[in-house]
Amino acid sequence: MKKLQIETLTGIRDQLACYPWDDSELSELVDPKLGIITGFQDLLDQLEILRKVDLGDIPPAGQIEDR
Amino acid sequence: MSHPLAFSTIENLSKLLINKEISAVELVSLFAERIDRLNDLSKAFISLDIEAALERAASIDLSDDKSKLSGIPYSCKDLFDVKGLPTTGGSRVLQDNIAEADALSVSRMNAVGAIFLGKNNLHEFAYGATGENILYGTAPNPYDHSRLAGGSSSGSVAAVGFGLCPAALGTDTGGSVRAPAALCGLIGFKPTYGRISTEGVLPYSWTLDHVGTITRCIADTKILFDTLDNSPRPVPDIVDLKNLTIGIPETFFFENADHEILSSIDQLITLLTRSGAKVQKVPMPSMEYTRTVSLTVQMPEALSYHNRYLESRGELYSQDFRAGLALGQCLLAEQYVRAKRFIETYRRDTDKVFADVDILLTPATPAIAPKIGATEVITNGYSEPAGNTITRYTSFFNMTGHPAITLPCGMHSEGLPIAAQLIGRHYEDEFLLGVAELVEREFGLGVPLPDVG
Repeated sequence: MKKLQIETLTGIRDQLACYPWDDSELSELVDPKLGIITGFQDLLDQLEILRKVDLGDIPPAGQIEDR
Repeated sequence: MSHPLAFSTIENLSKLLINKEISAVELVSLFAERIDRLNDLSKAFISLDIEAALERAASIDLSDDKSKLSGIPYSCKDLFDVKGLPTTGGSRVLQDNIAEADALSVSRMNAVGAIFLGKNNLHEFAYGATGENILYGTAPNPYDHSRLAGGSSSGSVAAVGFGLCPAALGTDTGGSVRAPAALCGLIGFKPTYGRISTEGVLPYSWTLDHVGTITRCIADTKILFDTLDNSPRPVPDIVDLKNLTIGIPETFFFENADHEILSSIDQLITLLTRSGAKVQKVPMPSMEYTRTVSLTVQMPEALSYHNRYLESRGELYSQDFRAGLALGQCLLAEQYVRAKRFIETYRRDTDKVFADVDILLTPATPAIAPKIGATEVITNGYSEPAGNTITRYTSFFNMTGHPAITLPCGMHSEGLPIAAQLIGRHYEDEFLLGVAELVEREFGLGVPLPDVG
């Protein structure tokens, strides 16, 4: 998986029915300077690891059954 | 010296009220005076309804119909709707959001005669565990005002911790009731997912949100749970420690923690063993990616709710919450669904652990309350953001939905409380509370009151 680029996020914002986030806010996700959100790239790297886990037929979590 | 009535339990206050040794009006007046005197320091309340509380107290004093909560003052985090009052979420975004009806929890408390005093400060929209709030200030720890009460239910914990009310309601999405209660020497309880309704409570993350309680003792927690529970069931026989098997997680929950906290938990384990309880190590699901899974669910859900306000009021959100919402926007749908499937695996794997044990025992937090303003906490050489430290041992059980309670079990040499966390099987909340009450009673683990006047 390649490193996230700002153009990817501005493309999502502009082309995929999103709230119009400021460029500076999206830039923080890619290249954090203010320290408000750090580690988005790390999060994506971890999601890439999780993507490769075979979860079989496990469904998404829902209500907890009262046994 | 702390005022004895202000730090009394619901049980004690209820007896005084029933025996007419004190009136509900006197009790409300006592707490109103304390709020007036201590709210600037504690930053516990962000709105008050004292006039209505006094009226209600007067009518309760005239009534012979008494429950254990009749005339008992309480407060709630400002995510709960209270008819006629703003539900702000601690944010500039919702300053004009007047509730048209009470949240179900508030309604149930009022129905049994509890008296609502006001709404508590919080981390904006419950996004964060430090309780820092740029609008209303940061609630300090009652034991050391240079340290955090913790959050996100910071004001609810400060309200009870500073003796401004005997009990409070909060919400717990990653530990936001249990962890701050632990840091402040109080009892924090979140029931099985769904057992207390979130109806009328501003959501943060539907998958993880729980309503919880903050009290001074387990008996008071039981009184509140009995009132708030969606699905009451028979209370099990009195628990005997000799028949109890307690699981101690082999990994994660005892790692990178303060030595004095680990020592306190070890002492508790020794006491339990001496009392005849069987204690055994248990393997837990891998915790390596649990924070990633939790975030991947939280932020899209938070964005989905707040989308209704972003267009017209987006500039009123704090910078850090907006950044979190932007992150939620940039995750993919399949990643969100996959994260929810991982949550289901965590639930199933944790249920398997409970096949061999009745209760799990962990420290409540890996560290004592961090200093206000600290962004990083270093615990035993391990550095992480302060909010992550506060909820490191609690957030997993928001995903699994198991009932969990934190209770004090000692004092740190730096003068701050240490707490343990007990976790029970799904829907065995009553059993969990029974065990917690036995532990509290048998071992006398309570902490001294803070000296807040």
